[in-house]
Amino acid sequence: MGRNIRPSRLLLTVAVLAAGASAPLWLDSYYVGIFTVAYYFGVFAMSWDLLFGFAGEVNFGPTFLIGLGAYGAGLMNNWGLPIPLCLIGGAVVAVVGGIVLAVPALRLRGPYFGLVTLVAVLLLLDFIVIFAAQTGGEIGMMVPDVLSVSTDVNYWYAFGFLVVSAAILFGLSRSSLGLILQATGQDRVEAQALGFNVTKHKIAAFSISALFSGLAGAMLTFYQGTASVDQMVDLSIAVQIIIAVVFGGRRTILGGVLGSIFLVLFDELLRPIGQLNTFVVSAVALLVILFLPDGVLGWVLRPREPR
Amino acid sequence: MLALQILVDGFAISALYGLGAVGFTLMFGVCGVLNLAHGGIMVIAALVGWWVAADYGAGPYGGAAAGVLAGMAGSFVTYYAVIRPIQRSRAIPKVEEEIFILTGTLLWGIMLQVGLNYLFTNNPVSMQPLLPGVLTFAGVRIPWNEVLIAVLCWGVIGLLSLLVNRTRIGKQILAASINPRALTLLGFELGRVYLIVWTIYGVLAGLAGVLLASFLGASADNAGALTASAFTIVILGGLGSVPGSLIAAYIVGYAETITAYLIAPTLRPIPALVILMIVIYLRPQGLLGRR
Amino acid sequence: MKFWQTRCAGILGMAVPLALATITAAVAADQPPIKIAVIAEESAILGKSITDGARLAVTDINAKGGVNGRMLELVTYDDHSSAADAVRAFQRAVQQDHVSAVVSTFISEVYLALEPWSARLHMPMITAAAASNLITKQVHDDYDKYKYVFEGWLPSPVIAQAVCDSSHDLFVGMLHMKTAAIVSEDADWTTPLDATQAECLPKAGLQVVDHVRFNPDTTDFTPIFNKVEANHPDVLITGMAHVGVQPTVQWHDQHVPMPMGGNSGQATNPTFWKTTNGAADGVITQTGTVPGVALTPRTIPVAEEFIKDSGKFPAFTGFTAYDGVRAFAEAMQRAGSTDPDKVVAEMEKTDMVGTLGQLAFYGRDDTYTHAMRYGPKYVTGVFLQWQDGKQVCVWPRDKCPNPLKFPSFIKLPEQASAK
Repeated sequence: MGRNIRPSRLLLTVAVLAAGASAPLWLDSYYVGIFTVAYYFGVFAMSWDLLFGFAGEVNFGPTFLIGLGAYGAGLMNNWGLPIPLCLIGGAVVAVVGGIVLAVPALRLRGPYFGLVTLVAVLLLLDFIVIFAAQTGGEIGMMVPDVLSVSTDVNYWYAFGFLVVSAAILFGLSRSSLGLILQATGQDRVEAQALGFNVTKHKIAAFSISALFSGLAGAMLTFYQGTASVDQMVDLSIAVQIIIAVVFGGRRTILGGVLGSIFLVLFDELLRPIGQLNTFVVSAVALLVILFLPDGVLGWVLRPREPR
Repeated sequence: MLALQILVDGFAISALYGLGAVGFTLMFGVCGVLNLAHGGIMVIAALVGWWVAADYGAGPYGGAAAGVLAGMAGSFVTYYAVIRPIQRSRAIPKVEEEIFILTGTLLWGIMLQVGLNYLFTNNPVSMQPLLPGVLTFAGVRIPWNEVLIAVLCWGVIGLLSLLVNRTRIGKQILAASINPRALTLLGFELGRVYLIVWTIYGVLAGLAGVLLASFLGASADNAGALTASAFTIVILGGLGSVPGSLIAAYIVGYAETITAYLIAPTLRPIPALVILMIVIYLRPQGLLGRR
Repeated sequence: MKFWQTRCAGILGMAVPLALATITAAVAADQPPIKIAVIAEESAILGKSITDGARLAVTDINAKGGVNGRMLELVTYDDHSSAADAVRAFQRAVQQDHVSAVVSTFISEVYLALEPWSARLHMPMITAAAASNLITKQVHDDYDKYKYVFEGWLPSPVIAQAVCDSSHDLFVGMLHMKTAAIVSEDADWTTPLDATQAECLPKAGLQVVDHVRFNPDTTDFTPIFNKVEANHPDVLITGMAHVGVQPTVQWHDQHVPMPMGGNSGQATNPTFWKTTNGAADGVITQTGTVPGVALTPRTIPVAEEFIKDSGKFPAFTGFTAYDGVRAFAEAMQRAGSTDPDKVVAEMEKTDMVGTLGQLAFYGRDDTYTHAMRYGPKYVTGVFLQWQDGKQVCVWPRDKCPNPLKFPSFIKLPEQASAK
């Protein structure tokens, strides 16, 4: 693994990190806020890519995990617990939810796994709406505490969280766990034949994905001061996560961050046209799916040998 | 008489659910496409139907016809602009085609919802009943429109069944749902079969949308919920199984109606969810699912 | 020589004031505009009227010279009926666009989510129609923190009182009714509404025989109507804003024999008749005002401006938003600055001829701190009934002595005379 760290790549990483860490000093506070949200989205995307890109499982309901983390943490805060406990609590709820979903779902083949994850999101949505008295329903749930009122401090929380998550997730993808996941993702039967407990590893991948998704969802809640379905649970968010990863490049982990930043920036850029910005973003995403399915990073990093 | 009222109301709403679900499952069974823009197409039909009926004075029947046509148009655009390019794209590996279709139709559905919201606002609209007035018997009061809707739904489903089982093209459709490869080997053009299925789908979704607008009212915001509802019913019944979808539609319809009447209106969606969860855990391929 | 002297004097006489005026105008124009933010639901009629009302107010104020010589500038944001989007928009408005006041939503849950941010960022804001009493409770209980928050309409318990007052006159007095059922959507604003109605309706002469709360997502109201009917109420007192078209259409199609009164937010929209294909016939609801009624000398002129501007009579939120912007403008004018604390202090002294009545706010020691004052001297709202495609004012009886008319499937109590 040491052979692969080229000096140019190292320099690039350091430069990017430095630029990111210093952003509040030279970037307009409006954009600092934009990037804060984009970073949380980036963690959503990376968690999804771990599951999809490596374990080969198409999870249509990443927002199930995010929502569990966000609302779990939000409810705990409304019951009086301080933020750090709520963050842990939210992450735990997400992981438990993820395992409860994964255990039966992983027994399914073909489109059924994806569909079951989709159903999980719908169930959560319905649950939140029915118990609107406790959860705020479709409009959203306020939380009494926030991470900080300062834009800059919020940015650094998000940035730090992103960097740590990226390091862990990227490291995992390159580790032996990552290799096994890739193997099971590409050829389940062979991996089993080689003696790996496929189900156990997939559940592990699911749990890790759930942990980071839930934690990011909880942090996003305490950044905004509200947990809401259309920022955290709605299917359109799930789609945006998938788009971010597809755009940035599947199976690269870091591509998800790139895609998220692009998506959030693009969304903001289109704000002047009002309601229709969702329309345009979706249209562009559709075109990306059709014409650039390997994504930007995937295309940039594509193998240089002739096909 | 409460029991009779529940029986009658449940029947009508289940028939409506059934019509929507049948189109959805047919699309998957024959073409292998899970169209997550389903609700969007239904709402296009509903809104266009209302608009033509109201602004052009075409009345409920003219509006309904326009709505169904709009549903067909929506179906074709979905096929040609979203599904076919993905299916034919060389850049997308075959194994991932399904998730790209799911994502693509989801995006398309969002575009439809936002676009309709912009054109019509999210205020629900309703079409005038095709048959005004109410029918009263044995202590039950039911609008004639509701009766008509139930009759229409079953009439269309009956026609569909005739089409699939008795006509030549129907048999091709059936064959395509079982083994598309074999069909092409026998010299039939798969593309033509798909086109016909998309047409049928357009009519079914369009009619379901128009009837929904007439019975309950509809708005752009309903698109997602309608897809989710059709989706739940189809998974319950078994992907690709038309009889399964109908049975599931009635289970869901009655579960909801009984809950709304006897327990509490706020808890209406819960039984369907509980049933779904049980089915996923115990029999994930659904009641009559094949795989 | 004299000729030229006269000429010079004449030219100077014109040039000097002209130059002074130009310099003043230039100085004023150099002054940056005062920005006001509007955060509303663009795809809902009630929300869009908020933006239209604010825009009209800004135009009118600028036509009269602006505030302290500075022009007003409106910045609009769509919150897509979502609390999270509204919070994002609020943060953007304050920290990026540097606005001095915010006019916002008709949805209580959204406004409640904005309140803590208004407190944290010291931004004066007003709602055009959100009614939950939690809004003012926080201002009352923690004044120093939440004093920037204002309510430009009546809080739910007060709305409920208006419903009871009008029910006493209309349903008991004119129609001799004895029982009622409360039917409301399950939302933040209806909880205190229903609680107050449950208490004051019996005092007004209507015994409450059933109380139904339904999911705001409901599309099929058949079971609800059938259930309520089984308890034989004479009238349905509704509390709806999120829904409106569907329950009304289904009420009409199913020939439910009880009239609907109380609050139906969507029924206040002038387009409601069309979207329900006339099923709105006979529906009674509270609103700000209806076409043709002059609640104050400002009502009709502003209404006519609305019609010229956007082609149709606005939803009542258009009027409350208009008055809200004007209240802020006048407060800033009196304070001589846009400093939040000074503006808030002047807002509390508002005593303005609004479009719906005399606008004033409750004070620090009143129950509903910073909500709009209710009463015959201030604002009471009116009750309308849809009759033959028109919104007809039916209450207060002294301003609106029009008779009530119901569709044929409605069964009124025996000794009814709708006069």
